[in-house]
Amino acid sequence: MSRPGFVLEVDERTPALLMHEGEGFRLEKLPLGSRVIYPPESLPGLRDLDAQIRHALANPLGREPLHELLRPGMRLTIVFDDLSIPLPPMRTPDIRQRIIEQVLELAAANGVDDVELIAGNALHRRMTPAELKRTVGERVFRSFFPHHLRNHDAEDKANLAEIGTTRHGEVVEINKRAAESDLIVYVNVSLTAMSGGPKSVSVGLASYRSLKHHHNVHTLRHSKSFNDPPNSAMHHSYNRMAGLLGDNLNIFQIETTLNNETFPDYVGFLNKREWEWNLKDQAAYLAFKRANDLAPPKHRRQIWHRTAAPYGVTSVTAGDPIQVHEVTTRHVLRQQLTEVDGPADVGIFGLPYICPYNVNSIMNPILVMSLGLGYFFNLYRGQPIVRPGGVAIYYHPVRNEFHPVHHPSYIDFFEEVLAETTDPVAIETKFEEQFATDPWYIHLYRNSYAYHGVHPLYMWYWGAHAMEHLGDVIFVGGNRKTTQRMGFRSASTLDDALEMARERVGSSPSINYLHAPPLTMADVR
Amino acid sequence: MGLIRDVKVLTGGRDWRGRSRTPRSAAAHEPPEPPREFPTGWARTQVAQAARRVLQRGVLTPLTWSQTRPEVQGRERLDALKGPVVFVANHSSHLDTPLILGSIPQHLGKRVAVGAAADYFFDARWRAAVTALVFNAFPVERHRSRRLRSLAPYLLAKGWSLLLFPEGTRSEDGWMSPLRLGAAHLCVTQGVPIVPIALRGTYAAMPRGRNWPVPGRARVVVRYGTPLHPAEGEGARAFNARVGESITQLWAEEDLGWYGSLRAQARGELALPRGQQFPAASWRRTWESTRPLVGRAPRRAWRS
Repeated sequence: MSRPGFVLEVDERTPALLMHEGEGFRLEKLPLGSRVIYPPESLPGLRDLDAQIRHALANPLGREPLHELLRPGMRLTIVFDDLSIPLPPMRTPDIRQRIIEQVLELAAANGVDDVELIAGNALHRRMTPAELKRTVGERVFRSFFPHHLRNHDAEDKANLAEIGTTRHGEVVEINKRAAESDLIVYVNVSLTAMSGGPKSVSVGLASYRSLKHHHNVHTLRHSKSFNDPPNSAMHHSYNRMAGLLGDNLNIFQIETTLNNETFPDYVGFLNKREWEWNLKDQAAYLAFKRANDLAPPKHRRQIWHRTAAPYGVTSVTAGDPIQVHEVTTRHVLRQQLTEVDGPADVGIFGLPYICPYNVNSIMNPILVMSLGLGYFFNLYRGQPIVRPGGVAIYYHPVRNEFHPVHHPSYIDFFEEVLAETTDPVAIETKFEEQFATDPWYIHLYRNSYAYHGVHPLYMWYWGAHAMEHLGDVIFVGGNRKTTQRMGFRSASTLDDALEMARERVGSSPSINYLHAPPLTMADVR
Repeated sequence: MGLIRDVKVLTGGRDWRGRSRTPRSAAAHEPPEPPREFPTGWARTQVAQAARRVLQRGVLTPLTWSQTRPEVQGRERLDALKGPVVFVANHSSHLDTPLILGSIPQHLGKRVAVGAAADYFFDARWRAAVTALVFNAFPVERHRSRRLRSLAPYLLAKGWSLLLFPEGTRSEDGWMSPLRLGAAHLCVTQGVPIVPIALRGTYAAMPRGRNWPVPGRARVVVRYGTPLHPAEGEGARAFNARVGESITQLWAEEDLGWYGSLRAQARGELALPRGQQFPAASWRRTWESTRPLVGRAPRRAWRS
């Protein structure tokens, strides 16, 4: 049986603890009395996954079985989550492939000819053919690519349809093909409590016109946290939009959850608690760390990005989006939630090499910020693990490097906007329109593999709540110039960082360390 | 250099086999191990009985009699009694058990087991072994902190008489505490008579905290009472009250004489000697209970 998550209190027996820092990791000795938040151990995955999928499709929640919804002559659109989840990408066959194949089997058996598959990538970069093939599998790819298996294009005005406006004046505009379909089957992977449910169609297939209603500073500052939907203004907006979509569209949602098997066996020590490392784990740590530290940066990145997680699937649920999502959220929290007794003066986070927006790419400084102050800071329920005015210490080299194809607007944002201001509200007011409508960025988004022009700004908003909450942000091992550009500070060691934090939190602060990955969500009481 | 540093950080706090101690907050909760009952069956074998007779008659009793001046009364009341019985006495000194074991009539004394506090005499194996061998002791659960199954009914059924101290512990100040119900309950359920015993002067001779009797051969009195049989339908509480009255009367016999104590009891003037005439925590409680027993003057070996 998997052991539950728990909070370790560092004592003299505690060995040095693992800390991710970009494309690397280290062991760090934390001050005595620090609290370390560990996730529950990985839950067992479902045994006969194909049978479970078949069962879910035949016994959906709040809907007729899928095969009863399929009929000849109908327009069927299958939408699936893009490559931003899961992280790291899972070993093939991807769970989306296994589900889509079964949905297509049913569609074929029921004589459905008009089938389209769309990646719900919103303003993310398009998935390359290789990435699409990896996600949906060879057979699906060969049957549908390129004309009927494609990425959603949020800037293709001719192929967007306005569904309506919510009572809060939020325009709901989504992919036209999906909007005009008789049935939308959404295939989801829920890695965190924020994804899935009302977010799927309303965000994945939306346009900038629609996304700006929830991807803004005000909403994100009132999402405490965005991983806790009942207390997330962003999710309230999703819910309003999803309600409208539910009234107008026929959506059959299929959601899945994964366990915490984040790293493959040869780096199994990354999944284990440090005092339980055996000699093999320690040898693997030393060998992998040395090889990693000595490898040229390019190869190091390739190695990390080639890592596929041997995730187990813990649930497959199908049916009405609202009912399905309730079950899914329960499964996510069962795997990730750990109860913590109150926030601390200092929060420590080791940031890994990957975030949703640098799969097969480079984690640029803006993405480091969004991963640290956005995703990791918001892995809480109740209250953050750092008290208001406290200090967050992140481990990451924050190198000044960008992927010129994937993140062109990020470069301009970093060089031009952040040089002027780091205030999210000022950035939103002054620069959002410009970045969102820049024809060159739109061209690159539509025809190359670039993130949308407005995406770096969204990343900046993602950290707006943390920036408002925290007194100081320090990056251990961070490039001084890059961190400074973003309004943060860098330190070479943890001791230095704590020394720098002293002016805010005193000389013996309480410390919470979120031991992730594997993903841990703190339920702070 | 990097490798050496990595190795140092990795091996810090680990032993030579690379094992780390589990941090306290990560250690799994382990329920305390249920207490293991010390086996005492071996102390009732023929060999152990023979050894015990040698130890008691050769060492324990002569030593006790050499260090104190015991006076045994009422032993004739047990002449017609057949075992098993339960001897019940007040308890204020480690001298109590040797005095009783050394003075019990032989026809009953051959097969006596002594109830000893499980948490005191049976907490260390060596002490448990010595106690079991010398006194034929068996563990008695007195605080109900551990769930030991009592051996007493089994021993009675096997024909062993028991010596129990129903106050549960030695007196703090020489005065008695209320008698617990265990012994009376045992006798009522098993249909076994109780022999009440009053010990006087043992506190003065060797109070709590001393491991050897006071010098000067203090006079101590072991007074056996008439055996009490539980009446038909009598409850443990009522029987226990009778035992208490009997011990009270035996205690008072020292001061009032046999007939005087009977008269006083008939008048309702006697109560369990708990030192109630002295305020709690008064120095006079201890002062009175350590007063040497007055009695017959020691017999002089040589008459002038």
